[in-house]
Amino acid sequence: MRPRVFVRAGVIATALIGAGWAAPWPTAPAVHTPLVSRAAAPAAGQPGRPLFRREDLRPTLKRPSANAREFFFTRAIYNGGGRRWASWATDFPKADRQFLTILDRLVDMDAYEMENAIQLDDPAIRRFPFLYALEVGNMYMTQAEVTGLREYLLAGGFLMIDDFWGTYEWENFEAEIKRVLPEYQIVDLPLNHPLFNTVYNIKEIVQVPSINNAQGGPTWERDGYDAQVKGIFDATGRLMVVINWNTDIGDAWEWAESPYYPLRYSTYAIEMTVNIIVYAMSH
Amino acid sequence: MPDGPFASVAMFESVFEFFFKYRPIVFGEGTLAFRPTVATFVAAVAVVAIGVATFRTYRRVRANTRPIDRAVLTGLRLTILAVLLLCLFRPVLVLSQVVAQQNFLGVLIDDSRSMEIADRDGASRADFVAQQFGGEESPLLTALADRFALRLFSFSSSTNRITSVDDLTFDGTRTHLGQALTRAHEELAGVPLSGMVVVTDGADNAGVELSDALVPLEAAGVPVFTVGLGRENYSRDIQLSRVDTPRSILKGAALVVDVLLTQNGYAGETVSVQVEDEGRIVADQEVTLPADGEPATVRVRFTASDAGARLFSFRVAPRPDEMVTQNNERNALVVVEDTREKILYFEGEPRWELKFIRRAVEDDENLQVATLQRTAENKFMRMGVEDAQDLIGGFPRTREELFKYRAIILGSIEANYFTPDQLRMIADFVSERGGSLLMLGGQRAYAEGGYAGTPVADVLPVMLNDTAGDGEDGFFVETSVRPTRAGATHPTTQIADTEEASGARWLELPPITMVNRISEIKPGATKLLESGDGSLVVLAFQRYGAGKTLAFPVQDSWMWQMHADIAVDDQTHETLWRRLMRWMVDGVPDQVVADLPTDQVELDEPLALRAEVDDANYEEINNSQVSAWITDPDEELIEVPMDWTADRDGEYASSFVPRKEGLYEVRMEATSDGELLGSDTAYVRVAPSDSEYYDSTMQAPLLERVAEETGGRFYTADTVDSLVDDIQTVGGGVTVVEERDLWDMPVFLLLFLTLVLGEWGYRRSRGLA
Repeated sequence: MRPRVFVRAGVIATALIGAGWAAPWPTAPAVHTPLVSRAAAPAAGQPGRPLFRREDLRPTLKRPSANAREFFFTRAIYNGGGRRWASWATDFPKADRQFLTILDRLVDMDAYEMENAIQLDDPAIRRFPFLYALEVGNMYMTQAEVTGLREYLLAGGFLMIDDFWGTYEWENFEAEIKRVLPEYQIVDLPLNHPLFNTVYNIKEIVQVPSINNAQGGPTWERDGYDAQVKGIFDATGRLMVVINWNTDIGDAWEWAESPYYPLRYSTYAIEMTVNIIVYAMSH
Repeated sequence: MPDGPFASVAMFESVFEFFFKYRPIVFGEGTLAFRPTVATFVAAVAVVAIGVATFRTYRRVRANTRPIDRAVLTGLRLTILAVLLLCLFRPVLVLSQVVAQQNFLGVLIDDSRSMEIADRDGASRADFVAQQFGGEESPLLTALADRFALRLFSFSSSTNRITSVDDLTFDGTRTHLGQALTRAHEELAGVPLSGMVVVTDGADNAGVELSDALVPLEAAGVPVFTVGLGRENYSRDIQLSRVDTPRSILKGAALVVDVLLTQNGYAGETVSVQVEDEGRIVADQEVTLPADGEPATVRVRFTASDAGARLFSFRVAPRPDEMVTQNNERNALVVVEDTREKILYFEGEPRWELKFIRRAVEDDENLQVATLQRTAENKFMRMGVEDAQDLIGGFPRTREELFKYRAIILGSIEANYFTPDQLRMIADFVSERGGSLLMLGGQRAYAEGGYAGTPVADVLPVMLNDTAGDGEDGFFVETSVRPTRAGATHPTTQIADTEEASGARWLELPPITMVNRISEIKPGATKLLESGDGSLVVLAFQRYGAGKTLAFPVQDSWMWQMHADIAVDDQTHETLWRRLMRWMVDGVPDQVVADLPTDQVELDEPLALRAEVDDANYEEINNSQVSAWITDPDEELIEVPMDWTADRDGEYASSFVPRKEGLYEVRMEATSDGELLGSDTAYVRVAPSDSEYYDSTMQAPLLERVAEETGGRFYTADTVDSLVDDIQTVGGGVTVVEERDLWDMPVFLLLFLTLVLGEWGYRRSRGLA
């Protein structure tokens, strides 16, 4: 590893530790309570029933400090299925908040400090041209969500996909995204694509393991051995969707402050995401 | 049928002549004198004696009279005697009369096309000339020839001696009245000249001041007698008075052109103004005609889709009974440029606005938006740049580097980022280089970005709210947008095909947000868009120095693309940004600017060539080598060297006489020390002018002015009969003194009779007779 990476990693680690110590957002403690957590999720209800009312999910945007902000880290709420029907909320909101803290230190950007989750069929989604979705191996969108996402992407929105592994999950995601954009192909993004150079120069695609696989041993899950970055371009060559497959970038944000999570992974995860966001905001 | 004012003048003159024996002009020219004889004095003594006797008699009479009766009767009687006495003293008018056949008279006859217009009961102006000057029997010519040696001239674009009116062709394409007067005066120098008669409709279209021609005539005492032909107003006519088109535009640009229409006799009717691009109709705009004589401005929109020098025709289809149909059409030569204009967009932070603006103009082949986006301190992302070195050091630090662009867009970038010199450079970019500057809204723009008091604030079209200096007051508003009166018709804010559709579309657009409290524009600026309640400025512009500046304090115009109410394939956002950027780069000068005063000249008419030359810093230079490379219609290349005019810095001039009809390309090229500074191309069309048919009604005020300033008189076809006598009275040359008796004026007899009858009547009424 080169010294530059150490410096960056140091900055990130310091930022995270600082953020943890300072107990941020002291003004409205009620709001920091994670709105959704993995522990709470199974108790919330039966599949197919709305998990949370929209009003519960978006109180943060009602604060005056959310006015006029440029960037919201927006997480897509989609309809899940099977064993992990609330998969959209994986790592939520700790990962989002930690990533935003780091983003604020790294990039001179007017980003809102709090999480922002929104349903795909909510017309207000258009206010947020960047969207993050993960665990899409268990995504089963309703028709309204398909239409909402399709129009969002064609109007100029950008979608970042993360944290799904192996052939089975790929096939599920591919089928779902084909419902949204049947006319566009999924293609590999080569390392010379400008996406890998917008802010940081990324030389290789790293497989970012989940926290459970980060302490040594295999970093892959299921049969997803090779991390890949793919994309979907529109008719004019604009990148609409970037797909991180066989990797778990979100876990790296969530555990970036942990001394047991290797810096190599969190550094890559953060550099990659910063690049994707800045790329999305300029192309 | 004679026109109103001239008829009443004629009537007044004949009544005056009936009472006073001579016309007013004779009294104006002559001086009053008395020519008494010995017999006059004898008679005078008798009259005085009678007067004294009368006075005394009335004093003595008492009868049944009151003193007032005696006074009135005495007064009347004495007045009668005074009138008699005046006549006895033989008043005369002393006049200097032109001696018959001793003097010359220049007769200038209009030979231009407008003389063929038949606006007097079906008879043309030329018919009048033929009738009055045509041959042996024609009354005016005969009467003039009896008293003067006549010299006939024809005039239109040039002035020529003719022997008879048969030489007139009436196909001149210009009327140069001043030039004609000067030429005729020069030719008649050295002979005794009584004056000049100008027979014309007065539709002078030389475009030069007449005073230069009139002052020498006045000084030499040569009166000009003008005979105005034709009507002052057409009863039925539609005219395209003016068409304002830019000289050059970018290919694909949407043009909004004002066409000025005047009409008589068709008020309230609907006609359509059509625009043709070399045979293809590109616009068709209906208009309801205004009241007679009032101008109407018609706004037509069309797109210039083909590159090159294009001839656009604007026309209104002639009405069946129109008097002049040739003035229903105007042509304009517009150079449609197929170039790629460079715009620099500098953004201080990653913003959605940048993504969507880039995307909106991406497909526009005529716009190259180089984008510089700061991602972190001193870290920049460059997009749309020319090569690896372009903008590598951030925002340009030299004038030369910055002035390559035609427009600058500043996003959310604080004033502190720039050095004082860079801020000055941005202001100079507008005022000296002639570029355009647009500032977007954002937390680091305007007063919130610390621009108050900087040179950039000086050039912006809006007042900065300097209480909001640190951006901490948290101003934030979400508002709808509506066009102002100016914005409803301005080319940048046309987001739909018609004015109505565009206005309606603005009101449908979703709200945007603003963080800059901008509520006031500067004097001289124009507000195009405002917030729904009218309190905030959304888009404003002003001209500043050689360039223009725009303020668009909106931070998310991308909502007009992304909002759920906007259809996915909607083009409003794209249209707005393309039009805005195209308007910004429109008319921004290069280092070399070719300037031709007109887009059309006639064969053999000299064409003035003018170039303005700047160096790379856009400072005028006077020692460069400038040439005009002219390609004629047969593709032959002619070089015309151009010299510094010495009147203005950086201005070079020359002239060229075209010898062929058709389209000429004029490319002006400047080099300095062997290095090419730049070149610019202009076009000119060589064709007969049809300007004779515009404003071709008789221009009485102009002709009256010519006559008045030179001491002559103005006539119409109805009053022309007195012309000959007047020239004899007013004219110069060899003259003789002549006395004309005034005692036998009918007015004296009338006065005498009135007084006598008045005295008798008074006596009757008082019972004294």
